[in-house]
Amino acid sequence: MISIILLAALGKFSFIVAFVGYLVVFFALVLLVIIFTNIPKLYHIQIRKKLRRKGKYIDRPEGCCMAISGETNAAIGLALFLYFNELHDHENMVMTIDKVSRRYSPWSSKIYGLTNYNFNRK
Amino acid sequence: MRRFYTVAGVLLLLGLFSFIIPDGLIFSDLNPDIAQGVQDVDKVDLHDSETGFLSGAWAGVKQFVAYSGFANVTYKHLLMLLVGLLFIFLAIRYDYEPLLLIPIGVGILIGNIPFVQDAGLKLGIYEDGSVLNILYFGVTAGVYPPLIFLGLGAMTDFSSLMSNPKLMLLGAAAQVGIFLTFLGAMVLGFSPPEAGAIGIIGGADGPTAIFLSSKLANGVNMWNGETVSNLIGPIAIAAYSYMALVPIIQPPIMSLLTSKKERVIKMKPPRSVTRLEKILFPIIGLLLTAFISPSSLPLLGMLFFGNLLKESGVTRRLADTARNSMIDTVTILLGLTVGASTQADVFLTTDSIMIFGLGALSFMVATAGGITFAKVMNLFLPKDEKINPLVGAAGVSAVPDSARVVQNEGLKYDPTNHLLMHAMAPNVSGVIGSAVAAGILLSFLL
Repeated sequence: MISIILLAALGKFSFIVAFVGYLVVFFALVLLVIIFTNIPKLYHIQIRKKLRRKGKYIDRPEGCCMAISGETNAAIGLALFLYFNELHDHENMVMTIDKVSRRYSPWSSKIYGLTNYNFNRK
Repeated sequence: MRRFYTVAGVLLLLGLFSFIIPDGLIFSDLNPDIAQGVQDVDKVDLHDSETGFLSGAWAGVKQFVAYSGFANVTYKHLLMLLVGLLFIFLAIRYDYEPLLLIPIGVGILIGNIPFVQDAGLKLGIYEDGSVLNILYFGVTAGVYPPLIFLGLGAMTDFSSLMSNPKLMLLGAAAQVGIFLTFLGAMVLGFSPPEAGAIGIIGGADGPTAIFLSSKLANGVNMWNGETVSNLIGPIAIAAYSYMALVPIIQPPIMSLLTSKKERVIKMKPPRSVTRLEKILFPIIGLLLTAFISPSSLPLLGMLFFGNLLKESGVTRRLADTARNSMIDTVTILLGLTVGASTQADVFLTTDSIMIFGLGALSFMVATAGGITFAKVMNLFLPKDEKINPLVGAAGVSAVPDSARVVQNEGLKYDPTNHLLMHAMAPNVSGVIGSAVAAGILLSFLL
């Protein structure tokens, strides 16, 4: 009943715009979903082919290998980063002094220093 | 909650004033002397040698007063100035969307300074040749929104979407808000182009809303021989206000439509996406969506272009400019001019109130649409691939606010369940969906 009243009030045009519009939005995104669900599969097939050709690919039965999730990888990455970042705090405490031998220069001489002048302090 | 009260208060205030204050009740009506002064000053010739010094000076003072803001102020101006000040206050005091509210708030102040209209001063945003009018051209001609989309593309990481493409459908489902609001606006008596522009508020995407309203409801285009109203200001303000209100609007709908068991569903962590996929996404996305809906090309073309700048890895400088300095510059101009376009006489109308009402409704419908579709998808998905229906709420664009809301709501029921990355997928697909919807509405209604 409500739909009949609405249809009478709005006219066919509005419903067509709304219905077709929504359908097109869905269609566009469904196409993207289909494409991007299949791209990784195609990509992996390509990589497998390449590796097989080079003799590096070994067919493994499903579930035999450890699958590490992105979250776990991120946690491992963060832990490594923090570990290496903090490394400098654990340096050995032995200090060494390198003796630097320089040739004499009047520019760095202590006897010509400003403090050695005998100023008249009276 | 405080945020809700303040914004709801502003909207209520706007509503009340537009109903209470009749048109034409202006300060100069209450003070006829000043109004008369504006008429008189034109009659006194200050260069006339017959005019005495004192009378000439008095005429000059009268002219100055007549042209000042005090002589031309109306209650509507004062109200809008109050709203502008409130926007600035909310942004500074509560850090409430400051990047948008400060430019919009100052824009409202600038746009509502009273002055003598039609005196050839070229001050108002709607006066041809004024500085504000020239800047406003970027809004009316739809220049700013694609530039914002360029920056958005250069900022957005689509990898969450590529790792689980089926979540894209949630972004499509949430666009139901746009089309139901379109029908709602038609029921309320708006013309089809106006209704289309109002409906896009449900896309929860400010630039898209401005882009579509600048094309469909710009006060210039015609429908059935009648000029369509200029609704850019109210639509933009409504879209941005409700985007900021996402943390208030969405949670009740989310808890209403989901069971406790559904809210704690843990989803598989997203897989890592290869660089090739990241590069292919903007190229395929652009070609596909532009072929389906060419009218959305200015928005989607720029969005995917920006994303390619980011993902190609060889245009780092361009990507940096697009996502930093350029988007900042355009945001300043867009915010300021949209704020200034809320000139009291154009903005405070009953249409604006209806737009605010429809906007709130469309956000709710869009949220419900996304959640419901996630539940429907769960009926067909295997047990280990179930979707947490809360994620569906992120299908309304509002990047990244709605994804953040999903994350917070998820954590409320299970502190170990992080939904942010999953929610980003429908969130960014919602941006694509709303841009496609805008293109379709444009092709139907222009």
